[in-house]
Amino acid sequence: MAPLAQTELSEKVRPPQVNLRRYRWVRNGVLAWLTMVLAGAFLLKIPRLRILEHTARNLYFHVPMWFAMMAAFAVAGYHAAGFLRSGRRARDVRAVAAARVGTLFGLVGIVTGMVWARFTWYQSSGLWWNFDPKQTMAAAQLLIFGAYFVLRSALGGQPEKRGRVSAVYLLFAVAVMPFLLYVLPRQMQSLHPGAEGNPAFSEITHPIMRVIFYPSVAGFIGLFWVLYTQRVRAAALEMRSVVRGS
Amino acid sequence: MKSKDATSFYARVADWVAGAWAVFQKDLRLELRSRYALSTLLLFVLAVTLVVLFGIGDAPLTSEIETTLLWVVVLFAAALGLGRAFVYEEEQGTVLLLRLHTRPSMVYAGKLLFNVLLIGVLTGVTAGAFWLMLGLEVGAPGLLGAVLALGALGLAGATTLLGALIARASAGGGALLTVLLFPLLTPLLVSVVSASQKALAGVAFGAAREELLTLVGFAGVTITASVLLFDYVWEG
Repeated sequence: MAPLAQTELSEKVRPPQVNLRRYRWVRNGVLAWLTMVLAGAFLLKIPRLRILEHTARNLYFHVPMWFAMMAAFAVAGYHAAGFLRSGRRARDVRAVAAARVGTLFGLVGIVTGMVWARFTWYQSSGLWWNFDPKQTMAAAQLLIFGAYFVLRSALGGQPEKRGRVSAVYLLFAVAVMPFLLYVLPRQMQSLHPGAEGNPAFSEITHPIMRVIFYPSVAGFIGLFWVLYTQRVRAAALEMRSVVRGS
Repeated sequence: MKSKDATSFYARVADWVAGAWAVFQKDLRLELRSRYALSTLLLFVLAVTLVVLFGIGDAPLTSEIETTLLWVVVLFAAALGLGRAFVYEEEQGTVLLLRLHTRPSMVYAGKLLFNVLLIGVLTGVTAGAFWLMLGLEVGAPGLLGAVLALGALGLAGATTLLGALIARASAGGGALLTVLLFPLLTPLLVSVVSASQKALAGVAFGAAREELLTLVGFAGVTITASVLLFDYVWEG
C-alpha cells in the first residue's frame, strides 16, 4: 500500500518532459535576439527631440517590461484556473513561477519608468515619484502580486489549500486588473501617451524606433518564457527531491 | 413535459432564493442579537472622525481632502468588519452545517446581501458624521447618495469573497485581509473619491457619468467573479 502512495506522489511532481536540444535552441535564440535588440537600441540613429533627447531609447526597455509582465500575469492566471479545475500540483507550481518572474519584470518596469520620468517630466523639480495614474496603478498591480505571495506564505503547511486559495485570489485579481491598467488611466490626466488629451503611442513614435521596439517586446516576452520554464523545472526537481528524501 | 420543466425551473429558483434569504436572515438575526459588528464599526467610525477633527482643528479643508478622508475611513471600517461574516462561521464551527444544508451560491448571496446592508449603513453613518462634524457642504445630495450606494456595493462585492478566503487562511489574522484587499480596491477608491468630489461641488448626474459607469462596472465584475470562484473557496 505504502509504495503505491509514494509512486503516486512522485508522479504528481515529476518534472515536465523537456527536449533539451530544443530548449537550448530556444534559449540561445532568445539571447542572440536580445543581443541584437540591445545593439540596435544603442547604436541606431533616432530623431533628437527637446527634453527627450537620447532618453527616448528607454522606450525599448521600459515598455516591453509591461508587455512581459502582462504575459506573465496571463500565464499565471491560466495555470491558476487550470489548478482549480484539475487539482494537479504541477499547475500550481507553474502559476507561482509565472507570478515570480512577472513581479521581476514589473519591478524593472517601475524602476526604468522612475529613472525616465526623473530626467524628463520631473527634470526641474527633481522628483523621483509624483502622482501619475499609470505609475500608481502599476504600483498597485505589484502590490497585488505581493499580496499573492503573502497569502501563500500564510498557508505554508497545507499545499492543497494553499494552491486553491491563492489561485482564487489570483483569478479575482485578473478580473479587477483591466480597471487598474486600462479603464482608469484613460479617464485621468496623465503624462503617459494615450491618456486623456495626449496623442496615442502610434501617432508619436518614429518608424525607425518601431524597428527596434517590436522586436524588443518579442525578445523580452521570450526572456520571460526562458526564465519561467527554468523555474518550473527547478521547482519540480526540488519537490521531487523532497519527496524522495522523506 | 415542457410545463413540468418550467415549474421545476421556477421551483429551483424559488428554492435558491429561499435558501439565500435564510442565510441572510440568520446573519441578520445573529447580528441584531449581539449587535457586535454594527456597534464596533460605528464606534470605530466615530472615533476616527474625532481623531481627524483633533488633527485638523478648525483649518478649512478642500473637498479633495474631505472626500479622501471619508473613503479611507469607510475602507478601513470595511476591512475590519466585513471579513467577520465567514471567520465567525469557522469560529462557531457552523461551516459544515451550512455546507450540508445549502448550496455554495446561496451562502454567497446571503452573505453578500448582509455585507451590502452592513456597509451601506456604515457608509451612510460615516457620511452623516462628516457632514455634521466637518461641516461638509453637499451640492448634489442625490448624486452623493448614488455614489455612496454604488461604492458600498462594490466594496461588499470585493470583500465578501476575500473574507471567505481569509476564513480559510485563518493563520494570517486581521492584517492579511487589509493586504489582500487594498490593492484590489484602488480602482474603486479612485472613482468613488472623484465622484464624491463632483457631488460636493454640485454637478449634474451627467457630469459624473464616467465615474458612475466605472463603479457599476466594478461592482458587476467583482460580484460576477466572486460567484464563479466562490465554490472553490467554500468546498473542500
